[in-house]
Amino acid sequence: MKYELVSGFETHVELATATKIFCGCTTAFGGEPNTHCCPVCTGQPGALPVLNKKAVEFAIRAGLATHCEINTVTHLDRKNYCYPDLPKAYQISQFDKPLCEHGYVELESGKKIRILRIHIEEDAGKLVHERGFTLIDYNRGGVPLIEIVSEPDISSPEEAREYVEKLQLIMRYIGVSDCKMQEGSMRCDVNISLRPEGSEKLGTRTEIKNMNSIAHIEKAMRYEYGRQAEILSGGGKVEQATMRFDETTGETSVMRTKEDAQDYRYFPEPDILTVNIPQSEVDRIKNSLPELPLEKLRRYIDVLHLNAQNARLIYKYKAACDWFEEAVAAGASPKNTLNLIVGTVFSRLDTEEDKEKFDVGISGAQAAELIKLLDGGKINATLAQMTLAKMLETGDGVEKFISAEDMRGMDDGELTRLCKEAIAANPQAVADYKAGKEKAIFALYGYLKRATQGKADVQKATEIIKSLI
Amino acid sequence: MAITEKEIKTLARLARLDFDDERCREFSGEFGEIIAFADRINAQVGGATSDIREVGGREIAYGDLRDDEVKESLLNEKVLSNVQSEGGFFPVRRVVK
Repeated sequence: MKYELVSGFETHVELATATKIFCGCTTAFGGEPNTHCCPVCTGQPGALPVLNKKAVEFAIRAGLATHCEINTVTHLDRKNYCYPDLPKAYQISQFDKPLCEHGYVELESGKKIRILRIHIEEDAGKLVHERGFTLIDYNRGGVPLIEIVSEPDISSPEEAREYVEKLQLIMRYIGVSDCKMQEGSMRCDVNISLRPEGSEKLGTRTEIKNMNSIAHIEKAMRYEYGRQAEILSGGGKVEQATMRFDETTGETSVMRTKEDAQDYRYFPEPDILTVNIPQSEVDRIKNSLPELPLEKLRRYIDVLHLNAQNARLIYKYKAACDWFEEAVAAGASPKNTLNLIVGTVFSRLDTEEDKEKFDVGISGAQAAELIKLLDGGKINATLAQMTLAKMLETGDGVEKFISAEDMRGMDDGELTRLCKEAIAANPQAVADYKAGKEKAIFALYGYLKRATQGKADVQKATEIIKSLI
Repeated sequence: MAITEKEIKTLARLARLDFDDERCREFSGEFGEIIAFADRINAQVGGATSDIREVGGREIAYGDLRDDEVKESLLNEKVLSNVQSEGGFFPVRRVVK
């Protein structure tokens, strides 16, 4: 029998507030253990939590960006469990009245992964297990989190990847979290069950806890699908369980079964009053949302008619999109601007973080002054690339590098003379080209580029070279 | 509402209390009385436990929530003053195998 995968996600996202959710301690990542702590976040008797307004605002932003309804009257609840990562032996969370409900995240196919709820809560401390001890660092304890609970609408590891990536992008775009999975500011619990293809009835699910990489999520889902399919096709029953994923073996294993599932004894948090949020505040937050990632991607492809592959490369980085849009607003053509970003600017930004920041030394508007010359045919693409590289290097404007003479380009006679020179200087490349190695011609471009400081028009030069050899 | 010995055992386990069978039997009686008392209180305030908040009925306006401004944390020595610390951490008996 063929089985269909049914999966829902619980995603924890750390909010990028300056302070913790219930006290004024910093949320900065790292730091010596237990140095970002106070009586509130270490659960000292008598210490009282005071809710951080920004955390509520960020959670509402996240809700609105995922098309949720906002509960303007909301309260917090105690979730009791006894584990040393929680000094109070309870976590302040939300149970029956989450801040946001009934939204969705749209995938590129148009499929909507429904969001059941988003609630706010405090993060727990970090545990390090060493020899006979468990060592606790409460720096992370009390950092504000949102938990985004999806409906079981995900039906493949590929969809899971896209869902997590889209969620990550949305949260970054709206500025509520950096969503760095490797630093734990975004973590997923993955619920998985199988059912016979075509069946509507949900099977028994297992939950894989605390996944901190998209690649691992995909791997774990594939493994768990295989494990459950094997049980079911053997006539067995999947046992409801909480699982962990072992990164080294790529396998899932049972942490605890339903028999000892915890009773969290939720009850209303008496130390924090019910919060009443005016609708006008929700409207203000809604109006402050930027264009969301998928809308942007669709606009780039459908309205600006940009190359879809390149548009996909840039839309992941909001700061790069802002730079792009600044250049376009200053009159540069979208197509040439995007080509230069992908070809010249991105090649100077090594890490994802660099691309994320897009701190490139010149503004989009400055770049537009160069790109307009390219758009108008006053300079060719090679010269534009080389000049942009110099501008990025120095932070200087285009006028420093391109003279009126450069803009006239090069007449055909001069270009032909240089092509002849290039052919004479590269006999091996010419021989290779003649023998059928198309790429050998690049050696000649290299020569021309150096000899003319990029002024040679590659397209014209190609025609001339081909006619000469 | 009657409470069974099995429920007492579950509650005891969650509360990390060690109850033998005899204590469980004793307690099932006492628990019945405690729950009956809680029922009486609920009847007075006219609702189930989820209405606990309505008793006070107080709300805080969004605008009165705390601003996101960093305050100085406690000195590490002070945070750890009640424990024999291991390298700045709170140590407890190992909780995983």
